[in-house]
Amino acid sequence: MASLRDIRKHISSVKSIKQITYAMKMVAAARIKRAQSSILASRPFAVEMDRLIADLYSELGEQDLEGTQASALFSERPAGGPLCLVLVTADKGLCGSFNTNLLKAAAAWLKENRGRKIYALAVGRKGRDFLKRLKGLDMEVVHELVGVFPKAGYVHAQLLADAVLKLYGEQPVESVTLIYNEFKSLLAQRIVTDRLLPLKMHIAQDASAGGRKPGDFIFEPVKAELLGALLPRHIGAQLYRMLLESQAAELAARMSAMEAASKNASELIEDLTLKMNKTRQTMITTELNEIVSGSEALGG
Amino acid sequence: MEKKRLLLTIVTPEKTVLSEKPVDAVTIPAFGGEMGVLPGHASFAAQLKEGVMHYRDGHHREIFAVLSGFAEVHHDKVLVLAEAAELSKEVNEERARQAYQKAKESLAIRGADLDLDEANAALRRAAVRMKVAEFKRKHKQ
Repeated sequence: MASLRDIRKHISSVKSIKQITYAMKMVAAARIKRAQSSILASRPFAVEMDRLIADLYSELGEQDLEGTQASALFSERPAGGPLCLVLVTADKGLCGSFNTNLLKAAAAWLKENRGRKIYALAVGRKGRDFLKRLKGLDMEVVHELVGVFPKAGYVHAQLLADAVLKLYGEQPVESVTLIYNEFKSLLAQRIVTDRLLPLKMHIAQDASAGGRKPGDFIFEPVKAELLGALLPRHIGAQLYRMLLESQAAELAARMSAMEAASKNASELIEDLTLKMNKTRQTMITTELNEIVSGSEALGG
Repeated sequence: MEKKRLLLTIVTPEKTVLSEKPVDAVTIPAFGGEMGVLPGHASFAAQLKEGVMHYRDGHHREIFAVLSGFAEVHHDKVLVLAEAAELSKEVNEERARQAYQKAKESLAIRGADLDLDEANAALRRAAVRMKVAEFKRKHKQ
């Protein structure tokens, strides 16, 4: 049986762990508010951007688009080319199954596309390390973005967008896939596997019911060029949203994981205290017993 | 009859700077040159380059620095989508220059590759700020 001193030591170590997990929970809780509000703040930009693209697109005829930079982003590419994966994970652990689930999803995706050349872009240290550890795959990590959380800004999204577009322009990449965690609520995250490129036609067609007559607008520079400049920004905005979602989801995951850890620590402390008290009482009883039996033996 | 006014909205990915603020006139740094917009302007969409945009609200003038983006005017509504927009008085030239230097140095050293992206990002931000400060100085003279 553990001695009283051992139990006391154990309790104090559990207590300090609880302090740490509790502090981490509070930090995550404080940051999540900011993360949520930056998601909200990024929304108007994305909405207006989509609308502008839709307006532009409805003004453009097919022949205007032909052969421009913009059409290259829209058109489907022949199947069988290399693939590109953008994996967004956290930089740090201690956030429950956040990273594990992501990496599982990424592994499943990689397995599905086994045997093809894969270009990977890693955001977050965990994902980068995971991709670097993988062996026996025809994979190249072309870009990594590490240490951006929890202060991901639009500049980071832009760097990422530049890298994606450069790759997409230089290589015959068939499609660009995103794997990231979406922030659903404080308690739930959802892993999303989404296609970034080629762009889906529906973003251009969605809002064309805006009730505007074509020919209303003056464009500067010409439409196709304008669209060509707009689309990379659109991709940037999309990536930015993805970074923010992942950031908020990570914080939410960390918050609930740390809350659970603090709770477990409290329970452990309770159990240990009970055990300690029992041990102490047993000791006292034994001592009393010894004293009483000793004095009885003396007194006869 | 009430005078016609423009409704100005400026949004960046990180925040909404202005939302439907009624103003009298807006000047936008369009790709082909500065462009003045008054109420009743024809609809247009234009690409912006980095520069200063200002708006006038009565006698009050406000100067913004915008970094490449887009502007759309439709039915007296001006929508500016910029990658960054800052009130020019919020830009501190000295600090921007220091930040630029620092970012450049850390890029030159290229220590741990972990800081590379952050340094690149900082460099971009600082470059924009410096440009803004420069514009501001020119504007005053």
